[in-house]
Amino acid sequence: MTTGTRPVAASAPAGPSAPGGRALLRRALSLLAPLAGLAVILLLAAVTTPGFYSTGVLQLVLFQIGLIGVTAVGQTLVLLVGGIDLSIGAVIGLTTVIIAVYTRGDGARLGVAILLALAAGAVVGLVNGLLVVRRLVPAFVATFATFVLVQGVITAWTRGAPSGNIPGALSPLGTGRWLGVPVPAWVFLAVAVVAGIVLGRTGLGRRLYATGANARATALSGVRTGWIIAGCFVASALLAVLAGLINAGYIGYVDARLSRSLDLNSVAAAVIGGVGLTGGRGRIGQTVAGVVLLAVLLAWLRQLGAGAGAQLIVSGAVILLAVWLQNSGWTPRSPRRNKQRDGVR
Amino acid sequence: MRTHIGVSGRARQLRLPLAVGLAAALVAACGTEQEGASAGGEGGGGGGDCANAEEAQASYEEAWTETAEQLGLEDLQPTAEEVCEVDTAEWAAEPKQGDTYRIAFAAQGPTNSWGLTNEEAFRSHAEELGVEVLYASANGDATAQVDNIQQLASQDPDALVVVPMGEGITGQVQAAANQGIPVVLCAGRLGSDSGAVSTVTRQYELLGTAYAEWLVQQLGGEGQVAVLSGLAGVPTAEFQKAAALEVFAEHPGIEVVTEQYTEWSPTVAKQVAANLVTQYPDLDGIWSDSGYGDLGVVQAYQEAGKPVPPLTGDAINAFLKAVQGTDVRFGLSSFPPEQSVECLDTAMSVLAGEPVLDKVYINSPSFTHEQIDQYVRPECSDNLFVPSSLPDEQLRGLGLC
Repeated sequence: MTTGTRPVAASAPAGPSAPGGRALLRRALSLLAPLAGLAVILLLAAVTTPGFYSTGVLQLVLFQIGLIGVTAVGQTLVLLVGGIDLSIGAVIGLTTVIIAVYTRGDGARLGVAILLALAAGAVVGLVNGLLVVRRLVPAFVATFATFVLVQGVITAWTRGAPSGNIPGALSPLGTGRWLGVPVPAWVFLAVAVVAGIVLGRTGLGRRLYATGANARATALSGVRTGWIIAGCFVASALLAVLAGLINAGYIGYVDARLSRSLDLNSVAAAVIGGVGLTGGRGRIGQTVAGVVLLAVLLAWLRQLGAGAGAQLIVSGAVILLAVWLQNSGWTPRSPRRNKQRDGVR
Repeated sequence: MRTHIGVSGRARQLRLPLAVGLAAALVAACGTEQEGASAGGEGGGGGGDCANAEEAQASYEEAWTETAEQLGLEDLQPTAEEVCEVDTAEWAAEPKQGDTYRIAFAAQGPTNSWGLTNEEAFRSHAEELGVEVLYASANGDATAQVDNIQQLASQDPDALVVVPMGEGITGQVQAAANQGIPVVLCAGRLGSDSGAVSTVTRQYELLGTAYAEWLVQQLGGEGQVAVLSGLAGVPTAEFQKAAALEVFAEHPGIEVVTEQYTEWSPTVAKQVAANLVTQYPDLDGIWSDSGYGDLGVVQAYQEAGKPVPPLTGDAINAFLKAVQGTDVRFGLSSFPPEQSVECLDTAMSVLAGEPVLDKVYINSPSFTHEQIDQYVRPECSDNLFVPSSLPDEQLRGLGLC
């Protein structure tokens, strides 16, 4: 949770209610950094890996965008209220296990299995939210604890070897294409549009930004900030369930090894896009830009034949660069500038 | 289906004369137990006094010969390896507590179906033998295993069987050996200074070499090959890969166009293979160390509408189910989880003072696409490692069938 000293009004320009042309300029500039990064990577890819601009690679990038993007939207909601969700990977894993074990490959049982997975995800999100709101546990600790807890539940339940299979009926969600574009990318687009509208055009969105910027002041103005924060954690968990369904459909197998990387990728995409780690700053458009940049970067590194170590190093370096840019004043709403303006040292 | 190395039986025939000779040597040396632990613990060594070298070496080469026959390989030369017989008379002992032996098992833990099957096979065999198992799970983590070994050693078991999670546990294994506990390394290995009496495992080099030779033979010695390994820096992956690259280097017609890691994840492998499809459209073969990886590779090629190149890996039921009825060519072998049975047998032989090999290289079935119907288990879980030596009832109990 954010416990900043700035009044609600001080954070407002970061959100959609910022007035005037200055805000528009800020908004444009905030998108500029990730887009410039994307342009650099695309240029490097053109020079170093000529095969990068093929339909096959584009399909792969779009799939990655879909999978990372769905989780990144949920992560963005949590980041906007000053939290972080490290339990996303665990929820993805739990989803695939529930689908496999309950359905045992039978498509007729898929509907109930999805409802069970959504219920399980909601419980995880609610636990995260309650720990943060009611017990004032830092989000990092609370969500990491639930990550470990859920992993333990999965291991105790399945003893490391989930029985059953993923129904083929789920396959279109992971491998299907519509108008030549992988379905996961469409799903991400839909999720991003809905999130963008809620954040940018509704009162709920304004309350969410205000809560992230200054929870105490927002609460004093009558907003039930606890519900908003808990709601963001629940939304993040439910989107993780959706990502779990996409992944299960993509590979048709309970892949326990994969989901761990999605926690960090979701945070990385949001941060690279320019969403602030301190709450109250960022838009879904920035997350989309970050997701695209990260997916292109990962695909390019793979095309280069870079090893796992090199991929992690480059990804880490890009995140550090993004955070450094945020803090050095390159982006228009850096914490330093806010603090200076608000007189906080 | 587990196949014992043939020399074990022959070695036992030499038990009496060896025991007499060793007893004499012990009396002469008047060695302490701790020194004995150090001497007997040259799990990877043998040094200049390699006991019963000829017979031990023959057992080592037998695994290579059988694998070559099963995969139809014309030329599979064993890598240089010295296998010796270890005198275990100094470890011979009655149970420390009560009437039954207490064997500590520092297991990987049920983090996947391999770990689950590995420890279930161990427990079942312990029950058959009437020994008590002191169990600790590392959850796949070397750091956790360091603590596990300390905890198990503090209970003063008669012997310790360790499924090593990494080189980081070497100090604790040495400490346990120095404490007078005979240690058997199981399904993995440490450096020769670990103090372990014996190492029981499927040989990484055999798998890596056999897969590479099979691929070379399939390609007629010419073509582009992609090498898909598991996890960077993990011995199981790196030793196999290194052995394969040595084989490819011996064939000038083979070009290794890329080396990548699949993290033993079908999803990652599918993404890697989707890149291969676009980047190397003329790829002739894929060397892979994993059936999990192969599953992703096959899906990527099938979705791209391209024929799947011949590929290698270990035998996981999900892959066999995915390719049954297709024309995918593959050469598979296994790193059987049930090798823990042999580990326990070796530990019991040590406690009985019977000679054992310092390296017991497990023999296990290898097969190609031509024998798929013999090995696929459609009624069983994707996670089952095939062929499994566990009875069907037990596999059903574990949710694997």
